[in-house]
Parts: sequence; C-alpha cells; structure tokens
Amino acid sequence: MSAADSHTRTVDAFSAYLEGELPPEEKASLEHHLATCIQCRTSLERFRRTLGGLGRLKRTAAPYSFLADIQQQINRRSRGRFFRRRWLLFGRIPFEWLSLAMIVAMLVYYIVVLQSSPTGVKPIPP
Amino acid sequence: MSLSERLLVARLVRRDEEAFNEVVRQYGDRVFNLVLRMVGSRAEAEDIAQEVFVTVFKSIDSFRSEAKLSTWLLRIASNHAKNRIKYLARRREQGHEPSGSDSGDLADEGKAPAQSHIHGPDVLLEAAETEDIMQQAIATLEEDQRLLVVLRDVEELSYEEIVEITGLPEGTVKSRLHRARMTLKQLLEDKFK
Repeated sequence: MSAADSHTRTVDAFSAYLEGELPPEEKASLEHHLATCIQCRTSLERFRRTLGGLGRLKRTAAPYSFLADIQQQINRRSRGRFFRRRWLLFGRIPFEWLSLAMIVAMLVYYIVVLQSSPTGVKPIPP
Repeated sequence: MSLSERLLVARLVRRDEEAFNEVVRQYGDRVFNLVLRMVGSRAEAEDIAQEVFVTVFKSIDSFRSEAKLSTWLLRIASNHAKNRIKYLARRREQGHEPSGSDSGDLADEGKAPAQSHIHGPDVLLEAAETEDIMQQAIATLEEDQRLLVVLRDVEELSYEEIVEITGLPEGTVKSRLHRARMTLKQLLEDKFK
C-alpha cells in the first residue's frame, strides 16, 4: 500500500476510531500508522478538538413565553377551539385574581355573619 | 415506547390541552436547541420551534406508536429547520436578505479572538473551540450534514435514534457524518491559516 493510501485510510477511519467502533486488527493497524506518521497524528488531534468543540456548545433553553406563544398560535389557528383564554391570563391561571376574589368573598361573608349574629352589638332602642 | 408515553400520546390524540402542555415542557428546550443549532438565529429558531409544536398538535394522529415520541418530534423539527434553511437561502439568492452566514445573532453574541494574540495553528484551533466560531462553521455546512453533526455531536443522540429521525441507513449516517466532521475540521483550519 502506498503512503498516500495509508494516510487516506487512516483519516477515513478517524470517526470510527474515536467512537471505539473499529475492529481490533484495523485499530492496531491505524495505531501503528499513527505511531510513525506525525501528519496523521496532528490531523487526528485537530479532528478530536473539532468534535470537542461541538460537544461543548452550550444548551440553550426555549424562551420563557414559549408555551404561551404556542398556545396562542393554536388558539388563533383553530379559531378559538383550543386553548381558550377564559381560564388563562397571559398564558397561565390568574392566581392573583382568584386570591383577591376569595378575600372579597370571605370579607362579605364575615360582615353578613357579624350583622346577623345574636351576640353582635345591637343599638339600645330609645 | 414506555407505558407513560403511550398514555401521554393517547391524551394528545384526544387533544387534551394539559397533555400537550406537558409535551412542550418536556421537549421544548431540546427542540429549540436543535433548531437553533441548525439555523443559527434565535428569532428564526423561536418561530420554527413554535411551528414544530403546532404541527405536533395538528398531526398527532399520524404518529406511529412503534416510534419514540422524542424521535418523532425531532424528525418534525429537523424537517422544519431544513425547509427554513432552504427558504432563507432562496431569499438570499433573490436578494431579499443581506448575504452572509445565516448564523445570525448567535454569532454576534461573542467575538472571535483577535488573531494577532494567537500564534501556532494548534492554539488557533483551541480558540476555534469557542461557541461562535463553531456555530459559524456549522452554518456553512449543507443542511443534511448540519443535521447529522447537530444530532450526533451537539445533541449526542445514538445512531439508532439518528437513523429513526433521518430515515437514512446507519452506514450512510456514519459516512456522511464523517465527511461533515472532516469538512468542519478543514473549515476551522482554513479559517486560521
């Protein structure tokens, strides 16, 4: 085999070599070539660094409003059939409005009960 | 497919909105990241990723239960991303958009290191491992090669999953992926020559 063929075969096997998929005899032959060929060794090192760089690309999370935006899209395209807004405010359940309504209801209940209570303070008739 | 996934799909088929929310919460980041790495622009990625989930909601009936829900989703995402890349390339050819890499705003987030501060090619290659340079290099690959690199080397999926997503035989995936990696390596070397 010529030197050029040997280089080509080595370079073609880089991916399989780094992923541990080369059969033992091919792996031994490649490592033998690498031991004697600085050109292929350098090329393998750069190949490895390229893969390393890809693996280190950071994971980017979807935007905060992603779910709400999709719900809005589906709602619009289904002409309001899905993801109706009646339970949602800005794409979520409006807990603050529900809490406020609850407080008002309790206040009204308290006032009504206090007014009708027999132990409540009654004005002295003239 | 696991039992919980089957139940989730059954709810999706009934257009259960809470089941759909669950799917978006579970796979939203993964789909967004895949599409972002494919198109290189945050604005485009947001638009495509939303479109992916709208498609999921519409076409869940066509989901075959022998596949995994995640790979089905990623297949839809990769098809949408590839179509958008072609569309954007066409628009650029017709002069509707400024020419240049479609790595867009991702590449603008960080600046390439000044070459005057760097000496040997190995040090330059180390510098090339920074995010923006890598993203620009990915953006120069053809969309099929880009997809394979993103699925395998960025998302770290198994060959089995990639075969399911792309519909290509495993041997083809491996040989095309190797060519894509070699192209990337060459691009990075040329960039710093």
